[in-house]
Amino acid sequence: MSLPRGFIFSQSSLQDYVDCQRRFQLRYLLHQKWPAVEAEPYLENERRIDQGSKFHQIVHQHLVGVPENEIKISIANDEVLEAWWNNYLHSIRDGVLASIQLDNNPHFEELTLSAPVGDFRVLAKYDLLLCQTDGKWLIFDWKTSENHPKRKWLANRLQTHIYPYILSKAGACLGGGEAIDPDLVEMIYWFTNFPEQPERFSYNQASYNDDLRTISSLIAAIDQKTEAIFPLTPDTRRCLYCTYRSLCNRGVEAGDIHHLEEWLEPDAPDELRIDFDQIGEIEF
Amino acid sequence: MAILHSPQYSSDQTRIIKLPIGSKTFLEGPAGVGKTTIGVERMLHLMDTGVSGNTILVLVPQRTLGTPYIQAMNLPGVVAGGMVSVLTHSGLAQRMVDLFWPLVAGPAGFARPEEQPVFLTLETAQYYMAHLVRPLLGQGYFASLTMDRNRLYSQIIDNLNKAAVVGFPCQEIGDRLKTAWSGEPGQSKVYEEAQACAALFRGYCLQNNLLDFSLQIELFWQHLWKSELCQQFLIRSFRHLIVDNIEEDVPITHDLLADWIPQAESSLVIYDSQAGYRRFLGADPVSAYHIKELCDQNFSLTTSFVPSQEIQSLSVYLRGALARNPAPKPKIDPRPAIVHETHTYYPQMLDWIAAQISQLIDDEGIAPQNIAVLAPFLSDSLRFSIVNRLANRGIPVKTHRPSRSLREEPATFCLVTFAVLAHPAWGIIPTKFDVAHSLMQAIAGMDLIRAKLLTDIVFRIRAGIPTLSPFEQIIPTTQERISYVLGEKYERLRLWLAEYQQASPGELDHFISRLFGEILSQAGYGFHTDYDKGQVAANLVDSIRKFRRVVGNTLLETGVDMGKEYIQMLNDGVIAAQYMPAWKAQTEQAVFIAPAYTFLTNNYPVDVQFWLDIGNRSWSERLYQPLTHPYVLSRNWPGDKTWTDSEEVETGEQVLSSLVYGLLNRCRKRIYLGLSEYNEQGYEQRGPLLQAFHHILQGLAEG
Repeated sequence: MSLPRGFIFSQSSLQDYVDCQRRFQLRYLLHQKWPAVEAEPYLENERRIDQGSKFHQIVHQHLVGVPENEIKISIANDEVLEAWWNNYLHSIRDGVLASIQLDNNPHFEELTLSAPVGDFRVLAKYDLLLCQTDGKWLIFDWKTSENHPKRKWLANRLQTHIYPYILSKAGACLGGGEAIDPDLVEMIYWFTNFPEQPERFSYNQASYNDDLRTISSLIAAIDQKTEAIFPLTPDTRRCLYCTYRSLCNRGVEAGDIHHLEEWLEPDAPDELRIDFDQIGEIEF
Repeated sequence: MAILHSPQYSSDQTRIIKLPIGSKTFLEGPAGVGKTTIGVERMLHLMDTGVSGNTILVLVPQRTLGTPYIQAMNLPGVVAGGMVSVLTHSGLAQRMVDLFWPLVAGPAGFARPEEQPVFLTLETAQYYMAHLVRPLLGQGYFASLTMDRNRLYSQIIDNLNKAAVVGFPCQEIGDRLKTAWSGEPGQSKVYEEAQACAALFRGYCLQNNLLDFSLQIELFWQHLWKSELCQQFLIRSFRHLIVDNIEEDVPITHDLLADWIPQAESSLVIYDSQAGYRRFLGADPVSAYHIKELCDQNFSLTTSFVPSQEIQSLSVYLRGALARNPAPKPKIDPRPAIVHETHTYYPQMLDWIAAQISQLIDDEGIAPQNIAVLAPFLSDSLRFSIVNRLANRGIPVKTHRPSRSLREEPATFCLVTFAVLAHPAWGIIPTKFDVAHSLMQAIAGMDLIRAKLLTDIVFRIRAGIPTLSPFEQIIPTTQERISYVLGEKYERLRLWLAEYQQASPGELDHFISRLFGEILSQAGYGFHTDYDKGQVAANLVDSIRKFRRVVGNTLLETGVDMGKEYIQMLNDGVIAAQYMPAWKAQTEQAVFIAPAYTFLTNNYPVDVQFWLDIGNRSWSERLYQPLTHPYVLSRNWPGDKTWTDSEEVETGEQVLSSLVYGLLNRCRKRIYLGLSEYNEQGYEQRGPLLQAFHHILQGLAEG
């Protein structure tokens, strides 16, 4: 199966391919919905996803200028969100996020950049990009997982490679036409539950070249695939939290969210996000 | 990086595409002259010359019209950088309401500004409208009308939407309709009741943080755009505007642009000079044209790249005939562009169409996507008849919406039946027929005979509670007839349902997800590897989940079970009647079957069009809508004027002429006319479009 013209890759889709090729095929090539339970307890999983989305939203609101007191009122009935919000405020005033409000550094929130890689494009959606006065670019990514993931695990995630790569490749438009030097890029994961323990990953030209090779070869490999059914992951633990488990004959019941490995922060399934596109189609 | 897609642009096109970055341009012309192509290339040109894509907003009246822009952006040749936003006015409004809600919720009059807004979809808006209006129907509201209740609810919602997009207070709906009314005096009471229902709904929404389409638009325009923070955020974020098909957009969008364009760094506004097909949705080409005054460069293109000379000639003939205008006829004979054959009965005509399409694909090599089958309205039965005929010939088809509504899908029926069996407290009793058909859907290899046999034995209603008894209690000879393999699968399903009943019941969407994942999509069951059923089940879960998240709290307060309420609303047709999935697996290489207006507003040309039912008066007459009126509830209607029959006739003629012109401008080669003496319902019809064709062909035959 060769990829359709105009197919766009993201860190999520490429990570899915690396984790389980069949999952990538079902999700991104066939657009196959398969509504089994992702994780139990069902409502707790939904609540966690909602809180993660809401945190991203309130930070976005804060960064575009909605007053803090108005935001605080809007989350007053959610203790978890309130704690995350307080952690964020503390970090932005005195902690590791202080540079965001320093010297009126230009920042871009919820920004999507894309760049061609071979015959396709790869996009990256950033929670926050910040350009410091010394010319350094910081990529912030908010993580709302209950546990702090291991640094090694984060280092291996494609997000840690794709985000700095795409910024270096496509960020010229943000800096007045000047290409962004990979040596001036840093990726920072900030954890709502561990505000003083961010994970920082510096970047450089050698990493950029390595990442280009990795991403290009992944995309080329996907484009050259011809199997009707892509291979299933050898790690069957993943299937516990994958809705396609019955389609692949890989289990019956969903895994318990409390046993979910600390690094497996659930992605918000499309149907749980506010589906603006669905609303947008309403023409009364 | 060179990004122009084709070297064959005219000098005018190239000039517009490459205008200096700061230009504010108005581009007009009929369909087929390459206006959208210019819009797409202008977007790419801006990015190529250093404008960051994320500072460009492409504004379109409906999402499908943004497709060429999105597709162009996804190609590898496009410069690396920010992504362009392609949005509708309502999409933009929703995003801004969501982002700036804490700022405006209080001033806008919401009773609980500290809580989150709840965005209503069409179906949840209709649910709440039904919830509020149903008791009033019992009190005699709308007693003089004989119409489907859901249409009644949707027309009240429609009135609120019209008020929002036209920009008048929703308290004026009833008065505007009454003033224009010239018929029976009893209708005034209907308009007053429609006004009262609209006010009731609006009050309820404000009380409960509910945002239907109309409230989203009003909140955005009256509060957010007037907030300096929000307006500056938008103006700084999107410094370059490309507005396509502005004539199909609503007056409130034009008001927004009138404010925005002077503050933007550049703009390109594209106007189709013969369109405005979405008037029934509030489109206003008149107010759209005023945007021209804000632009410093105006261009008008007239050379169409689409229709053949014969089609262009037909267009002139046809519009002349419709206007009964004896204007000079073109020299080119339009007849090679018309293929027609008269049949006595409708099914014969449909057979002929299927055969002609097959021939076009096989003999002439016309690609399926270059063929469109169009009718004034497309009933489910007509769509099924055509799709079925084409499917039998192996011809791929795409329709403007899923072939059947979600609630009519057998997979939905099966899931809902088991939900009812698992929740006896709801007091809903399925029939034996329901259970047998559900077992047939649920268990792979279960045919109808065995499903009925099994149901007759195991399905019982005891003390008003539906139950399923164990397979082992069936006598061995009957067990053998059903087969032990199927019996084992039945038993696993039954035990799963019994176990579920022992635990405290969960949410309906959770139940369906579990039943699907743990039983029905497992090997040996009817949903396993059935991608279509998976899609239907996913849409059902999605619909229920949205319903729960929107109305769950309301139901909790009133002590009504959400699952039971959902199923009752499903059965009443209030929800899931036309549920559209966010992504529908429809191949692009397919014959397009759609109502004529849907085809027009999708805005792409084809080689061949089939026009069905041209004797039908619906080609020119508007729908019967006793609670609303698209022309009266517009900015162009004088508030003190009465809508008379002559306006109705005149408008119908204009609408038909514009429709025909739009269709022919999107046709390269030929029109096939589906003619049958009796229509789908068995009636003989001779509407104005049929008469116009008769007039032309007769005239040409007589020389």
